[in-house]
Amino acid sequence: MVSHRELLEDLLSEEKLGFCNNCGSCTASCPMARVIPEVYNPRSLLQRVNLDFDRLIEGEELWLCAWCYRCTERCPQGIQPTEVFLLTRNFASERGNIPDNPRTIMRRIAETGRSNPYNEFIDEYREENGLPPIGPTISQKALEEQRRIMGEDFIRRIEG
Amino acid sequence: MREYALYTGCVAPTREIGYEMSVRKVMEALGVELKQVDDFNCCMPACLVHSVDYTRGLALTSRNLCIAEELGLPLFTLCSSCFGNLSRAKHLLDEYPDIRRDVNEILGEVDKEYKGEAQVEHVVTVLHNEITLDKLRGRITEPLRGINAAPFYGCHIFLPQKYAGFDDPEFPDKLDALIGVTGAQNVDYPEKTSCCIGCGSFFGEVSEGASVLLAETILDSAKGGGADCIVTTCPFCIMQLELGQLRLREKGKEYDIPIVHYVDLLGLSMGMEPEELGLDLRRIDTELLLEKIGG
Repeated sequence: MVSHRELLEDLLSEEKLGFCNNCGSCTASCPMARVIPEVYNPRSLLQRVNLDFDRLIEGEELWLCAWCYRCTERCPQGIQPTEVFLLTRNFASERGNIPDNPRTIMRRIAETGRSNPYNEFIDEYREENGLPPIGPTISQKALEEQRRIMGEDFIRRIEG
Repeated sequence: MREYALYTGCVAPTREIGYEMSVRKVMEALGVELKQVDDFNCCMPACLVHSVDYTRGLALTSRNLCIAEELGLPLFTLCSSCFGNLSRAKHLLDEYPDIRRDVNEILGEVDKEYKGEAQVEHVVTVLHNEITLDKLRGRITEPLRGINAAPFYGCHIFLPQKYAGFDDPEFPDKLDALIGVTGAQNVDYPEKTSCCIGCGSFFGEVSEGASVLLAETILDSAKGGGADCIVTTCPFCIMQLELGQLRLREKGKEYDIPIVHYVDLLGLSMGMEPEELGLDLRRIDTELLLEKIGG
């Protein structure tokens, strides 16, 4: 099995990350960096993946990427910051460093199969407007298969 | 007309049911059959689930691709992030044999296998690429003359190009063309290819605040361009730009710009009633816009 470690190593190999020109196209394209530049800067984050990995995976900046792919689309050197950050988060997760909100949403996905919360008013509201009910969870079969694919390690990580 | 496997995702059926009504109504009128499938799971957003376990996350997402293959139907997504996430999984499994092997090994635990045949579509890609502008033009009975509509592309329907592949990554114009079909006037404004930060808005206070700041920039820009409404491709963008307005109202900034999905405009121009399209369920009142269309 190719581990996320190998995938990250491949994305971060000298031939790839070594070609970063430090041009800042990623930061200039980033919606997060645009509104909270003092907190979030993908160019600096990318360098820290290479140079300051252990401290990076302890902090929360890594989790601020809004997953829009503008940096990935524009990097003139073909570096894929979005995928690099996703993979780097795997290392943070391994050590139990998952911020509270993402953890809550993932627990909900594990329990109900949906990222958004359900309450009975939703199906009442849907019925009033002529839509079929969705019920409190996805089908039992889907939920069971999802649990098996997630595996125990995954569940343990999001339970924390 | 073709049949698709309806993949509603989480946002539309729980928080944007007006949008779901609109899609069902318009697609029925266009003769598109949307098969109800009970066994899908969440698309498992890469920003969350793949961040905890990259390979198992991909397997969870790909389980949906396998079901579509078993049904022999293309997936019909309502949410651009579902579209982007499923397209990404397909791309990674199609391009990287090692990833496909590992994902299939995990999927084997539930007797599933990804074969590479799944097709991922989105309400807007179906309208543009399958039904086509020409056919849509023939269905317009009430052209929306007199309103200025500001297209808002969102992210995952066209970024990155190698996953989504719907439009030009720097100068997209397909939503503009679709809006043109309805008779509405396109607004060209600087923020039309901006991001709503929907996918980054739920990581805590900092990211939530960031999404409101960006909403303010987007709304200012659309307003400056004279927009009567903002037209999105994604229910998450609708939610963000509506909730953003409610938050900004608390700070004393009033915009009152209705946020609609492209299918809403299309439905109206096909002569449907606003209530059939769930336009009375919006967080930002659509009445002024509808008056302008009616007059």
